[in-house]
Order: sequence, then C-alpha cells, then structure tokens
Amino acid sequence: MVDLAAPLLNSLLLGSLYTMMALGLTITYKVTRIPNFAHAELVTVGSYAGVLAVNGWGRGVLEVLLLAFAASAGVALLADELAFKPLFKRGATPLHLLVASIGVGLVIRYTLAIFANFYNVLSVKSNFSADTLVSIGPGASLTTLHLWVPAATAASVIALHLLFTRTRIGKGMRAMASNFDLARVSGIRTAQIRRVTWILAGGFAGIAGAFWSAYGPTDPEVGWRALLWIFAASILGGFVSIPGTIAGGYIVGTSENFGITLLNSGFGLDTAYKPMIALVIIVAVFLIRPTGFAGLTLRVVIEGTRDFPRRTRERLKALRDRIASLVSSRG
Amino acid sequence: MRASCPPGGEAAADLLFLYTSIATLFGIYAILALSFNLEYGYAGQPNLGKVFFLSVGAYVSGALVAHAIAALTGYGGDLFTAQAANARLLYAAANPAAILGLFLAALALAALVGAAFGVLTSYPALRLRGDFLAIVLIAVGEVGRVFVRTYQPIAGGNIGTGGVPNPFVFLGDRTGRLVFSLVALGIALVVFLYMERLSNSPLGRLLKSVRDDELVANVLGKRTPRAKAQILAVGSGVAAIAGVLWAFWYQTVAADDFIPQTTFLVVAMVLLGGAANHRGALLGAIVMTLLDHVTRPSFYAILGFQVSLPFDINYLRYILIGLLIIVILRFRPEGLLPEKPVKTPALALANAGFPPSEPAPEAAPPDGGGP
Repeated sequence: MVDLAAPLLNSLLLGSLYTMMALGLTITYKVTRIPNFAHAELVTVGSYAGVLAVNGWGRGVLEVLLLAFAASAGVALLADELAFKPLFKRGATPLHLLVASIGVGLVIRYTLAIFANFYNVLSVKSNFSADTLVSIGPGASLTTLHLWVPAATAASVIALHLLFTRTRIGKGMRAMASNFDLARVSGIRTAQIRRVTWILAGGFAGIAGAFWSAYGPTDPEVGWRALLWIFAASILGGFVSIPGTIAGGYIVGTSENFGITLLNSGFGLDTAYKPMIALVIIVAVFLIRPTGFAGLTLRVVIEGTRDFPRRTRERLKALRDRIASLVSSRG
Repeated sequence: MRASCPPGGEAAADLLFLYTSIATLFGIYAILALSFNLEYGYAGQPNLGKVFFLSVGAYVSGALVAHAIAALTGYGGDLFTAQAANARLLYAAANPAAILGLFLAALALAALVGAAFGVLTSYPALRLRGDFLAIVLIAVGEVGRVFVRTYQPIAGGNIGTGGVPNPFVFLGDRTGRLVFSLVALGIALVVFLYMERLSNSPLGRLLKSVRDDELVANVLGKRTPRAKAQILAVGSGVAAIAGVLWAFWYQTVAADDFIPQTTFLVVAMVLLGGAANHRGALLGAIVMTLLDHVTRPSFYAILGFQVSLPFDINYLRYILIGLLIIVILRFRPEGLLPEKPVKTPALALANAGFPPSEPAPEAAPPDGGGP
C-alpha cells in the first residue's frame, strides 16, 4: 500500500498555486489576447522577491506577499509598456504576440540569472519555515503553508469575482474580452483597464511565486518548469473561463502529484515522466474540446454522452466508406 | 584582436578550430532556419518544436552509430559508458569506409524518421490555430527532452551517448574537422537550393495561399491539408538532417542539449532575416552564429583573451536573443530582407517587357518598365 498522504497534501498545495498562476494567465489572454510565455518569469520574480524579503530583510508573511505582488506587477507593467502595447497597437497577430512574449521571457529570466549569479543565489532556499500543525506520516505533515496557500487562492478568486461583477473596471475587462472595438467606442478606458489587468496577473503570479519559494528551492528556471502545468490549467479553462481555470488548476495539481504516485506504484512509471501528463492534458483538450471547461454545462455533458454511440457509429461508417472507395478505385 | 594572439603555429591551429566551428554551426543553423522559414514563412505553420526535430536527427545518429559499431565489433556491453565511447572513436579512426557509410545512413534514416514525426505533427496542425499549435509544439519539444533524459535506451538518459565520431577523422584531426565543416556547408547549400526550387514551384504558391487565406485555396480546389502535411514532413526531415550534423560534430548526443532556447534562436534568425525569404534565413543564421560565438568563453580563450565577468557569459546570449526578437517585431516585422513575389515564368516575362517577341527598341534601358 502506498502512502497517499504526502501526494494528497502536495496536490492541495500545488493545485492552489497552479490555480493562482493560471488565473493571471487566463485574464491576460482574455483581455489582451497574448498567450503569455513570460508569465513563467513573473512567477520567478515573485519567488526571488520572496526569498529576498525573508532571507535578506527578515520580513513577516504579509509584508513578503505584498513585496512579491509589487515586484511582479511592476515587471508585468513594464513588459507591457515596452513590448506588448506597441505591438498590440500595430495590430500584431496572436502568433507575433506569443513570440514577443517568449522574447520578453528570455530577457527577464536571464537578467534575473545574471543578478542571481552575481549575488551567488542561483539556487537558494528560503529561510521561511512553516510550523507543523499535524504530522501524518513520514514526509507528510500538515503545515501552516497548507492553510496559507489555499486561503490566498480563495481570497484572490473572491477578489476577482467581486471585481468582475461589482466594479466598473471588472465589467470593462469583460467587455474588452468579448469585443475590444465595441468596448472602446463605448467609452471604456481600455488603456487603464489593460494596466489593471497586468497588475493583477503579475501580482497573482508574484504571490504564487513567493509561496513557491517557501515550498522548494528558487532558481531562475523555477517559473519555466511550472509553465507547462500553468498552461495546461489555463487551457482546461479554455483560456477564458475563470471557474474552468480553477478546476483546471486543481486537476493539474492533482494529476502531477497524486496521479504520478498512483502510476508509479501501479505500473512502475518513473516519476520523472510527470511532465508528459501535462502534455497529454494540453493535447487532449485541444483536440477533443478546444474550449475546455468553458461553456460546459450539465446539459452539454448529458447530450454529449447520449449522442456519443451514434456519433461514433457515424464516424466509423464514414471511415469504412472511405476505405471501400479507396479500394474500389484501385481495383 | 590579432595582436593579442599567442604567436606561432599553435595560434594557427586554434584559429582553424574557430573557423571550422563557425562554419559548421552556420551550416546547422542555416538548415534549421531554412526549414523553419519553409514551415512558418511560406506555409504559416509555426513549428516552435523545431528543437525536437533537431534532437530526433541527433538521437537517430547516436543510436545508429552506437548499435552499428557494437554489432560490427561484437561488443555486447553497456553502450553508454566512457569506454564504449572511446572504443567507437578508435574504431572510426581505423575503419573509414564503415564510418562514412554510417554517416550517410544516418543522414538518410534521420530524414525519414524526422519526416514521419512531421506527418504526425500535421495531425494537430490541421486542427489548431497558429498560436495554439505553437503552444502544443513548444510543449512537445520540452516533454520530448524530459522523456529522453529519463528513458535510457534512446540516448543514454542523462549520461548521453558519447563517442559519435567525426566521419572524416581518418584524415587526421585537423583535416577531418576542416572537411567536416565544408561538408556541413555543402549540405546547407544543397538544402538552400532545394528550398528555393520548392518555394518557387506551384507548391510554393499554394503554401503562400494556405498561409494568407486557406479558405480561398480550398474554394479553388486545392488540397490544403495535404500541402500542410507535406511541408511539415519536409521541414521536419530537413531539421533532422541538421541534427545528424550536430551529433557528428559535437561527438555526443545528450537530451539536455536540446533546450527550447535553440528553437527561439531559430525563430529569431528567421524574423531577423525576413520570413518567406530564404536568403533572409541565411542572413539570420550568419548573424546568430556570430552572436552565438561571441557569447561563449571558448571564443575568447581561442583568441587568447582572459574574459572575467562577474557572471556566466552564456546568459548574455539569451538576453540578446530576447531583445532582438522584441526589437525586430516592434520596428521591422518584415525582417531585413522582406518577402519577394514567387518567381514564375509569367513574372519573368512581365519584368522583361511584354510581349517579348517584339524587338521593342524603346525598352532598351534595363529598367524600362513593361506593362
């Protein structure tokens, strides 16, 4: 029997972290149409900010989170002003924006690496130590981190919900997401809303990064290694749906930790293969249902299940006809 | 810069090392840039998993050489130890015919395997929009690297396959390097001529129509899915050939050499040179080869400099690539050499003045425009 306590606790922790990171990715894609590969670097910035605040200045949790939020939000704003906004104004394609975000990511990551190298912190562990609340087994204990992280994720989800439903800025974001030109001619201040979007996306990534630095070692590639999972979570939410992204974040966190433990004990699969799960999720969503969980209501599920045998029969019949016609044209 | 070189024959040997390194790396990068240009510039398929297809070629070469030499020498032990690698190098120096044959076989086999993976890639490519396809392919490249690093039989896992010999080593170390770099340039030239022919053919025009408006191409009865699959197969096969050169030049195949930054380097080459212009791809490859060299400590070591930066100079390369991508996209999205119309007989006639049968004495100045 495998000990499932540790992977379950990790699933909760990492699922919450991936959710918080993926929320930022989803809202930037919704509002600015950028599949932002530099999002990984915003996480890394937050992570290093967290280490600096704890190890260097000895600050408490709230101050650390605030600093990480500010650092990543600042970097995100700067990246938008210098790189993304001019491209967007020129009407660049989503692909060009994606390539530009890769460029921005390279610049941020390796600038961080140069500083990290200079100060000899290329791989650094935060001095933050979470207090153990309940010890469950070897290597599995419920710590204060397991309370802080889900609470912070819940708080950011509630904040986003209130923003989207109760404030002018949030409603403006939704308007920009559904039709940019119409939003603009309706008098919505698109430039201001764009800035708020970047601050939120960068800030969430920064907070998640700061928590990450308390969980594992920080290095300049820490965000890049998480990026595959963040994209998988956002893609599960169809890149637009907030509830879908939340579900995606926890599904991804669970399959990374809990799923690979089961596969490891059941089939002897090496845990180093776990990035393949993220790839399988990404490819499966894109090929089966590119909108992910977005617009997935109970009715859609029921109808899809009911029609599945009929649709499969039709597809098989079409395939048979195709093969038959190929064979007869040869003969 | 010359003045600070150590005098004598030793410096000449070192400079040969530098020249051959630049020439070979240019050959590899040029092939990669040409293949990405065909897929992205002409057909509009952003194959951001380029490094994966490069690595496929390298894995095929490493596995072929390791298994074939083991079979020829009757060696039955672990293929990935240092002793096995050394034995391969010694065998290659003693048996020129066998290793040249293996090199040619690796080129052919890698092109086929690469093309097969390219056809597989067309499955998502037919169903996804450009940016989503790019996300999937970046993920494929990164996960492929992790997989090969973990799964040992392909390329020795995280140890890698050492001892992939230079096929011209029987000519001596220095001459062998020189000949190999010339062969790499020759293969790049052949790929360039092939790409020029391909993209100036009717297929090239079909690809541009797929890129610009697939619906119109479909309405005109063109089989666009087939064209996409063909071009991904060609592009990936060609990238795998670059992988063969990579494996035989660096003499080792390790999964962790195939990081996504290599793909981004190729993207930067094509954007800098100009998409849908093969000469532009070559120009981009030259610039990036030089950039790659001047940001490596070994470059300064060869020239006899002591460079002491307070950080790893390799980081500078990626920052420059990132900045270059941003600056080009912002200020010159069409690249240094913009796209030109496809060369057709009709275009040649129009440029020469039409109709050409008339003597047309007034069209004597070469720039005198026809209709």
